[in-house]
Amino acid sequence: MAETAAPATSYEKNLSLRVSPAAQLRADFETGSVRGVVELSEVAFLTMVGLRVNRDSDAGQRIAAVTGGLPAACGGVAGSGETSVLWLGPEEFLVVAPREAHESLGGGLLQALREALGDGAGQMVDLSANRTTFELTGPRARAVLEKGCSLDLHPRVLKAGTALSTEVGNIPVVLWKTGEETFRLFPRASFADFLGRWLLDAMREYASPEVP
Amino acid sequence: MLLISCPNCGSRDETEFHYGGQAHVPYPKNPNELNDRQWAEFLFYRDNTKGAFAERWLHSTGCRQWFNMLRDTVTYEIQAIYPMGTPRPDAAGRTTPDTGTASTAADSTTTGTAAPDISGTSTATTGTTPASTTAPEGATK
Amino acid sequence: MSADLLPEHPDFLWRNPEPKSSYDAVIVGGGGHGLATAYFLAKNHGMTNIAVLEKGWLAGGNMARNTTIIRSNYLWDESAAIYEHALKLWEILPEELEYDFLFSQRGVMNLAHTLGDVRESMRRVGANKLNGVDAEWLDPKQVKELCPILNISDNIRYPVMGATYQPRAGIAKHDHVAWAFARKCDEMGVDIIQNCEVTGFVKDGNRVVGVKTNRGTINTEKVGLAAAGHSSVLAEMAGFRLPIQSHPLQALVSELHEPVHPTVVMSNHVHVYVSQAHKGELVMGAGVDSYNGYGQRGSFHVIEHQMAAAVELFPIFARAHVLRTWGGIVDTTLDASPIVGNTPVDNMFVNCGWGTGGFKATPAAGLTFAHNIATGSPHKLNKPFALERFETGALIDEHGAAAVAH
Repeated sequence: MAETAAPATSYEKNLSLRVSPAAQLRADFETGSVRGVVELSEVAFLTMVGLRVNRDSDAGQRIAAVTGGLPAACGGVAGSGETSVLWLGPEEFLVVAPREAHESLGGGLLQALREALGDGAGQMVDLSANRTTFELTGPRARAVLEKGCSLDLHPRVLKAGTALSTEVGNIPVVLWKTGEETFRLFPRASFADFLGRWLLDAMREYASPEVP
Repeated sequence: MLLISCPNCGSRDETEFHYGGQAHVPYPKNPNELNDRQWAEFLFYRDNTKGAFAERWLHSTGCRQWFNMLRDTVTYEIQAIYPMGTPRPDAAGRTTPDTGTASTAADSTTTGTAAPDISGTSTATTGTTPASTTAPEGATK
Repeated sequence: MSADLLPEHPDFLWRNPEPKSSYDAVIVGGGGHGLATAYFLAKNHGMTNIAVLEKGWLAGGNMARNTTIIRSNYLWDESAAIYEHALKLWEILPEELEYDFLFSQRGVMNLAHTLGDVRESMRRVGANKLNGVDAEWLDPKQVKELCPILNISDNIRYPVMGATYQPRAGIAKHDHVAWAFARKCDEMGVDIIQNCEVTGFVKDGNRVVGVKTNRGTINTEKVGLAAAGHSSVLAEMAGFRLPIQSHPLQALVSELHEPVHPTVVMSNHVHVYVSQAHKGELVMGAGVDSYNGYGQRGSFHVIEHQMAAAVELFPIFARAHVLRTWGGIVDTTLDASPIVGNTPVDNMFVNCGWGTGGFKATPAAGLTFAHNIATGSPHKLNKPFALERFETGALIDEHGAAAVAH
């Protein structure tokens, strides 16, 4: 038997093998984005951790110390530095961190959370492959979302720094308003292609000159 | 399309929810002692009220929590929304003691081993008009 | 134009009598099932001193709201027997009733969209053949030959992987069916009483002896309940429970088109069923709304979901316009099969729980229910559909062939 090649160990090589859920749409996102108006991109492979814990319990407080807090109510986002915690339910949270935070890339976030939970009542699950992330940004981003989301997205109601589980284009997503004109959407991987194409379709009119 | 006020998330479209049928139907205390008629009642017979009906809903796309709702099955008007494990309020929003076989034990209708902690959220409390819960900023339509 | 210039009103098909103080039997519900029951009571059992009570106008409930699909390709023996008997009656009824209600045996296709669907469909074809029901399996090419406007390409979310086909199935003009039964009932002396709402029952011990209505109390030997949508409400008045949940079910029609759709296409998987009515409108039905409802209306997203499925299967529909949508109230059971038989109240009988598809069973429901009322015990075809089955556990689980689309 021929000697097989040594397994790749460099993070670069590992990364080159991964395919993100909307990778096939990368060129379409590029051409479909209207610069300075509304732009769409996939932010692939973010580290995501599902947490189930009572935030008032000891375990909850230990976890809060790792993440920089746990949000208290619907819409809330806590966190510190590049780690954010989104409220999903009264005892359910989604931690979102850069891809480098994942232990496969040498990050320590998962292990820190695992240790913080310890044998306390709760759960922490690596959900990094569960959802992908779309970033929709620009002065028309809200108008695009409003075509398929029945929440009131007007800035007087929806402030930057709010994240809500809802539906966009009939697809369940977590919708996180990260800036005044920037939204992150977290669809499940199997819905990414549909939602990506739905967003592109909703963006298309803004490539044409505005009719006065 | 119903517009449903989730106790945790505020007013959302019906499409975010799943219907869970009649509320306040406890699992029999001693299933082995039931005769066929009683077991059939538990398995297959549910109230089919024309008028105010207490039912369970799940905010499946949102906070994934169950809650109870008092809804008119003719007008579809939502008269009250109240937490699992609490007695059914009357149409005016006041709670009345359960008269039927429904259990009011906190763990009788919730899933999992512990009732979800919803204190500290905007869940309506007994004795108020729960349909008008205040939602967190940004959560309402 | 003054009234005397108008043509004379055509002959009325039935009288509008005042209720008598007493009848040998009273049928509650003047829809298809109630009228068919009265017809067979008079014709087969010589019971003509009977009344059909209708709270609104004749055949204005689910009979006016269904999508008129007639087929008998059910999985289980009990279902195949009663629905096939109904189909055989449909085939002779236009002559027997002397009324052309446009029964059109244009065939019904039930599409399969997944491997699971394919296996289940082939099993059903086999079961149908053993029960003497005409059934065949079609591959996508044969589907396309029978219905050229169907999209059978494999690049859609739920591609058509084949279909079961029942050539003898079809559609009929629902209101004409009701009128045909009503006319014959009337001829035989049956009183059809509209605007007569049942408000309660008179009992002597556990035996029903009368019906209270908004037009007075009517004494009767026997009561047959055939009020789809309000079976639970009537049962509660009579003092017993039914394992029924009432849901809204919606349907819609397009504006009129040239004939484009030669058969009936149904898909349980994507929740849509379509035929083209004789006048030319496309008639489509959706799935039930999830919640209980007596409002005769449902939520818009159910219609939207159904239209998305319809347009993917029939791209040509994308430019058709919806003319009208409406809802009915369907009484569903846990095993998706009806309840026809005796009740816990003596001399009271119930015919209910046909879910989303009672229209197709109209003649057989009437025939067996009439037998049950006249003799006090069930016809062999409705015996398996007794209320007791929820206690014995002898359920007839027809979800595969019945649950969504009829």
